[in-house]
Amino acid sequence: MTEDIISLIRENVIQGRVTQDDEGLDEGMVGRPGVTELIEKALAMGIDVRDIISNGLTEGMNLVGQKFEDKEYYIPDMLASAEAVGAAMELLEPHLARSGIKPKGKILLATVKGDLHDIGKNIVTILLRGAGYTVKDLGNDMEPQSIVNAVRAEKPQFLGLSALLTSTMVNMRDTIQALEESGLRDKVKVVIGGAPVSEEYARSIGADGYGSDGFQAVAVIESLTST
Amino acid sequence: MIRKGLAGGSYQPLTEESIAKIHQTVMAVVEEVGFEVNSEKALQLFEKAGARVDREKLRVRLPQAKAMELIGMAPPEVRLCGQEEKHDVLLGGNRVYAGTGGTALYIYEPVTKQKRSATLEDLKRIARLVNRLDNIHLFMLPTYPNELPIEQVDANRFFAGLDNTTKHIMGGVYTLDGIKQVLRMAEMAAGSAEKLRQRPLISMIGCSISPLKMDAQYGDLVVEIAQRGIPLVCPAEPLCGATSPVTLAGNLVIQTADSLMGVMLTQIVKPGTPVIFGSVATNTDLRDLKYLAGSVEMGLLNAAGAQMAQFYHLPFYATGGMTDSKVLDAQSGYESAITSLLCALAGANFIHDAAGMMDFALTACYEKFVIDNEILGMVMRAVDGIKVNDDTLAFDLIKEVGPGGNFVAAKHTRRFMRREHYQPSLSDRNSREEWEAKGGKALWQKAGEKARRLIAEHKYHLPTAVRQNILSEITGIVD
Repeated sequence: MTEDIISLIRENVIQGRVTQDDEGLDEGMVGRPGVTELIEKALAMGIDVRDIISNGLTEGMNLVGQKFEDKEYYIPDMLASAEAVGAAMELLEPHLARSGIKPKGKILLATVKGDLHDIGKNIVTILLRGAGYTVKDLGNDMEPQSIVNAVRAEKPQFLGLSALLTSTMVNMRDTIQALEESGLRDKVKVVIGGAPVSEEYARSIGADGYGSDGFQAVAVIESLTST
Repeated sequence: MIRKGLAGGSYQPLTEESIAKIHQTVMAVVEEVGFEVNSEKALQLFEKAGARVDREKLRVRLPQAKAMELIGMAPPEVRLCGQEEKHDVLLGGNRVYAGTGGTALYIYEPVTKQKRSATLEDLKRIARLVNRLDNIHLFMLPTYPNELPIEQVDANRFFAGLDNTTKHIMGGVYTLDGIKQVLRMAEMAAGSAEKLRQRPLISMIGCSISPLKMDAQYGDLVVEIAQRGIPLVCPAEPLCGATSPVTLAGNLVIQTADSLMGVMLTQIVKPGTPVIFGSVATNTDLRDLKYLAGSVEMGLLNAAGAQMAQFYHLPFYATGGMTDSKVLDAQSGYESAITSLLCALAGANFIHDAAGMMDFALTACYEKFVIDNEILGMVMRAVDGIKVNDDTLAFDLIKEVGPGGNFVAAKHTRRFMRREHYQPSLSDRNSREEWEAKGGKALWQKAGEKARRLIAEHKYHLPTAVRQNILSEITGIVD
């Protein structure tokens, strides 16, 4: 029974179904329990949260990643799966401490001052939540000082900055400078991304990491988490 | 012969019923969903014009009747002028013109198969080249001068255009101060502000952010340009599945609504101001959300956009003729040809990006301008269609020549051969032996030779006095 429900969770992560109303990828899924219903059931049955996360959610996401590598899955498929995992993690969060699982960390994300392009940042938000992080999205067109204030108040482990325009990417540098001036720079790791940004640019403005796309952003943050 | 401004419209991907449905949905979006306008100036103007404005959410909604009234104020035709009158184009109806587009950051060199950063010198050289390529009717500033600070970019880009080609110059703009410099420069080239309004030698572009959003800088730019009465393009760039619904119909709704938002704003600023409805609509690669520049769906969307423009009686700026290929290969040719052809046959007024662009519009290529000039010649021939009348049916001639005769020596053949048949300037039609004897060159090699020759032959510059005045008054121009 335990195995059944874990495999159903895994299967529904692959289908990208948050609730029973979601259609998923295959035909005829509507009406069958989605990830949130299955998680609630698993919790009620007293199944170990550790088991749910590693054999259900994480394993499901690994298989989704494999399908993406195999060119079977597209970005909207990945996002649906990540959303399902994100919703599951939200339900599991109150139970983590009891099972001795440490939360993966908190991340603040913002599109920098002058830039209203937020699709990239929104995708990264979903993917990071899907990877088990607690993500707070500060929005777009964010003044350096507002970002500094948010870092001071929220105390995240990571700050992600996004820009689409060559004319606004300089505000990433200003934001990092503002963090330094307020003495918060060593309290948070800064990762940047966006079409005009590069690894080289990240280094030049003193960021800790750079993600060339949403998946890279998750990978970079994962690697910085373990250091 | 040069074919331009011919009537397209033989290809209609949308039925009348589809056009009506798209229009109704667009109006519902304008009225119920509205736009997020981040420019205070634009917000005030919309409010004054009778839009419902939600100050907290910066949301602007317009009743359908008001929207249609504003759209109706925009002129159905816009004349874009060259420094030589023969280069004037009259956008509107279903007349078709093609031109370059922008703005590429790199130049591709086919000999080394490498790309490099584009410079101001490249822009000047490309202007000289395009000045001599007859099937490219307008010059939109195609590259970004990477070596210049942003404050100097606008003035230097437009000066490079005005000083090296007599074709109309269109360009994207980057700073408000830059626009003011460019307008002053254009006034000096035209003779006065009034002469520039009468014969606009330049036009500009103010792009919205799909879906349904206008940022502060571009809102202010649109207001500034419209106040000056300089022709302005208001394109929208919805991407299927990313910034619009994944369906082509849903994309057309967003593109139409977004572009109309700009059109309406210009008419609020100044009724009758020359404005061009525009589309840069395309789809994305949903594996990585890359913008696609050579997909067949882009051709369909921009052909349909031409029909929507004709429905609203607005001149149309379409996007076509590019490729996502990194080299000058078969993909480069077929993607450019298919997208240009679909737009042209639908009667798109100005197909921009139709020459020189590759690699997701990030890269321009000298050889490709020459190759696309050839493609556009064939495209315009297709638009020209088949003329059927007594002269072309040639019954008398058929009777005269009779069974078993030939038409090679007939006067009728000489009279019609150039007009009826496109004369390629680049395509190879040699026998294999002839082709081998001439060096067995690939198309891009011949294109490169032609580009170098045309650039070397170039003579045009602005009249000396005008040039001196511009250089002494406008600061920061690199001569």
